[in-house]
Amino acid sequence: MLENSLGHPPVLDARGLYRSFGSTTALNGIDLQIALGQSLAIMGPSGSGKSTLLHALAGIELPDAGSIMLNLPGRAPVDIQGLKDKARTKLRREYFGFVFQSGLLIPELTAEENVAMALMINGVPRNAAIASAGSALAELGLTGMEQRRIGQLSGGQQQRVAIARAQVTGAMVVFADEPTGALDSTTGFEVLDTLLRCTVGAGKSLVMVTHDPNVAARCDRIVQLQDGQLTSDSLHPSNAAKDGAQQ
Amino acid sequence: MNILHLSWMFGRPAKSRMAPQILTASAYAMVSAILLIVLGGAYSFTSFELEAQGTYLPLAIFAVVLLVVPLLVLGSAAARLSARSNDRALSSLRLLGATGAQISLVAVLQAAGTALAGALAGIALYFLAAPLASLIPFQGAPIGSAIYLPLWVLAVAVAAIVLLSAGSAAAGLRKLVITPLAVATRSTVPTPSWLRAVICIGGILLLYALFSNMGQFMQSIAAIIAVIAGGFGLGLLVMNLLGPYLVAKVGKGKLRKASTPQQLLAARMILESPVESWRQVSGVAMASFVAVVGGSGAALMASPGNEFGQGTWMEHVPADIVTGVLVTLAISFICVAASAAISQSASTLDRAPLYRGLNRLGMPYTTMNAARTKSIMIPALTASIGFAIASTILVLPLAGAAVLLQPLTVITVIACVVLGLLLVRTAISVADPQKLLASRE
Repeated sequence: MLENSLGHPPVLDARGLYRSFGSTTALNGIDLQIALGQSLAIMGPSGSGKSTLLHALAGIELPDAGSIMLNLPGRAPVDIQGLKDKARTKLRREYFGFVFQSGLLIPELTAEENVAMALMINGVPRNAAIASAGSALAELGLTGMEQRRIGQLSGGQQQRVAIARAQVTGAMVVFADEPTGALDSTTGFEVLDTLLRCTVGAGKSLVMVTHDPNVAARCDRIVQLQDGQLTSDSLHPSNAAKDGAQQ
Repeated sequence: MNILHLSWMFGRPAKSRMAPQILTASAYAMVSAILLIVLGGAYSFTSFELEAQGTYLPLAIFAVVLLVVPLLVLGSAAARLSARSNDRALSSLRLLGATGAQISLVAVLQAAGTALAGALAGIALYFLAAPLASLIPFQGAPIGSAIYLPLWVLAVAVAAIVLLSAGSAAAGLRKLVITPLAVATRSTVPTPSWLRAVICIGGILLLYALFSNMGQFMQSIAAIIAVIAGGFGLGLLVMNLLGPYLVAKVGKGKLRKASTPQQLLAARMILESPVESWRQVSGVAMASFVAVVGGSGAALMASPGNEFGQGTWMEHVPADIVTGVLVTLAISFICVAASAAISQSASTLDRAPLYRGLNRLGMPYTTMNAARTKSIMIPALTASIGFAIASTILVLPLAGAAVLLQPLTVITVIACVVLGLLLVRTAISVADPQKLLASRE
C-alpha cells in the first residue's frame, strides 16, 4: 500500500498528525501514506476531522504536531510542516490541484480565464496559458464554453472547469472536498468520472473527502475517521484482490 | 423582543466585527467633522457686510451641497458593510421567521447607530480641527472664532447626518438580498441608454458654448460665479453620464493588454460593472473638474489685469475663490477616500469565501489585493486625468490664460489632485483581504 506498482515511495507520507481547536481534537495521531496514482476517499461523520486532514495534507493548515512529507517523482522530498506560509502557498499552486464543492471559480472571469489563471500565477505568459486552458477545457468536453462567464454555466460544467483548473498545471496530487456534493446524482456521477479520468487515469493521486458511500466506492482506497482518529483503512475489493494476488 | 433591542444585539461593538465597525464609524466621524468645518466656514461669512454675504453664502451653500453626494454614497456603502459584517446573524433572523422589512429595519437602525456614534466623534474632531481651520483666510483675515457653530447647528447637523445615513442605508440595502441562508449582492448589469449619449453630447456642447463666451460674463463677479456654478452643475451631470462609458472603454483596453493575473483580474472586475466602478470614484472626477474650472477661473480673476473693486470687499474675492477651490478639493478627496475604503471593505467581506478559497488553491493574497487596488485606481486615474483633460478643453481659453498668468495657482491645484489620488490609494489599503479577513477569524 505504501509504494505504487513502480516502487515509488508514497507521494504523501503523514505521521503522527495532531490538531486541536480549543478543547476539540480534530486530528488525534493520524498516520497515513498515499501512493502515487492512488485515489483515496476520506469518510466519516460531520466533525470527525475529514476536512482538517485534507487541509493538513495539502499544506493549507499546519497540524499542531506530526510530519507530512511530499515525495514527487524526480524531486527532492519536501517537509510540508517545515515550510513557511508563503512557501506552502507556492507549493500548493505548483504541485497540487483542488476541486471544492463550491468550485471557487472567479465570477468575473470567463471559463477559459479561470483555468488560465492557475498557469499565469505560476508565471506562464497569458497567450500560452489561454491556449493550454482551451485544450484542458476541450478534453473535458467544454468546447464552445470557453468564453462563458461562470454564472452562465451549469453546476456540472462549473465543476468541470474547476477540474480543468486543478489539472492544467500538471499537479501530481489533486485534493477534492465533496466535489459532487452540490450536484444531482447523474451530474455528480459524470463529474466524478471526469475527475477520476483526469487524475488516477493519468497516473496522479486523488485525495477526496466525501459523505457519499457511492462516491467513495469509486476510489481505490477508503479511510474512515471518527473523533480525529482513523478507524478503518480498506482497499476497494478489486484492488484488494490485486494486492492479495501480488502478495 | 423589539427591533431596537435586536439592532443593539447585532450592532453593539463586538470583536468579530470590530474592523468594519471602526472603519464605518471613523468614516462618518471624518465626514461629520468636515461638514461641520464647512458649515463653520459658511457661518463665519454671516459676519461679512451684507453685499459680500450675497456672493459668499451661495458659494458656501454650493460647497455644502457638493458634500451631500459623497455623504450619501458613504451612507449606502456603510449600510452594506454593516449588513455584510453581520451576514450570519441577519440570515439566522430570517431563518427564525423575521420578515425582510424587519431585517432591513434592523440593518438601517444599525447604520444610523454607527452614524450617530461617528457624528458624535466628528463633533470632537471638529473642535480639535477648528483651531487649525480658523486660520484659513477669507476677506483678508483668518476666520478666527467665527468658525465655532452655535450648539443648535451642531445638533441639527448630527440629526441630518443620522437621517441621511439611514436614508442611504435603506437605498443601499436594496442592492442586497438577505435570505434565510445567506446575504448576497444583487447583480444587475444596467444597460446604457441612447438618451444618456444625447444628454452628454448636448451638455458638452452647451458647456463649450458657455465657456467659449466667458468673456461676455467677465463684467461682474456675480455673473462669473453664476456661470461657473451653472457650469459645475451641468458638468457634473455630463460626468456622471459619460463616466461609466469612459471606464468601460479603459477597462476593455486594459483587458486586451493584460499580461499578469492581477491585470487580467482587475480589468475584468472593472468591466463587471463599469457603473459601479465609476460611482466609487466619481468624486475624483468631480474634484478634477472643480480643480480645472474653478482653479482656472480663480487664477484668471487673481491675475494682475483684473482688479475688482480695489479697497472694497471685492478685492479679496479672487484669492478667496482659490482658497475655496483648494478646500473643496481637499474635502472631495477625503470623502472619496473614505467611501472607497468603506466600499472596498464591504466588497472584500462580500468575497471573503472566494478570497480564502483562492488562497487555499495557491493564489497569494497579494495578487488578489493588487487586482482589487488596480480595479479602483485605474478608474480613479481615468476619472482624474480624463476629466481634467475634458475640462481643460472646455475652458481652453480660460485655462490657457491661467497657465500663462498664474502658473503657481495652477501648479498648486495640480499638486492637490496628485495628493488626493495618493490619499485614495492609501485609504483603500484598509480593505486588503489578508488583513481584513484575518481580523474576522
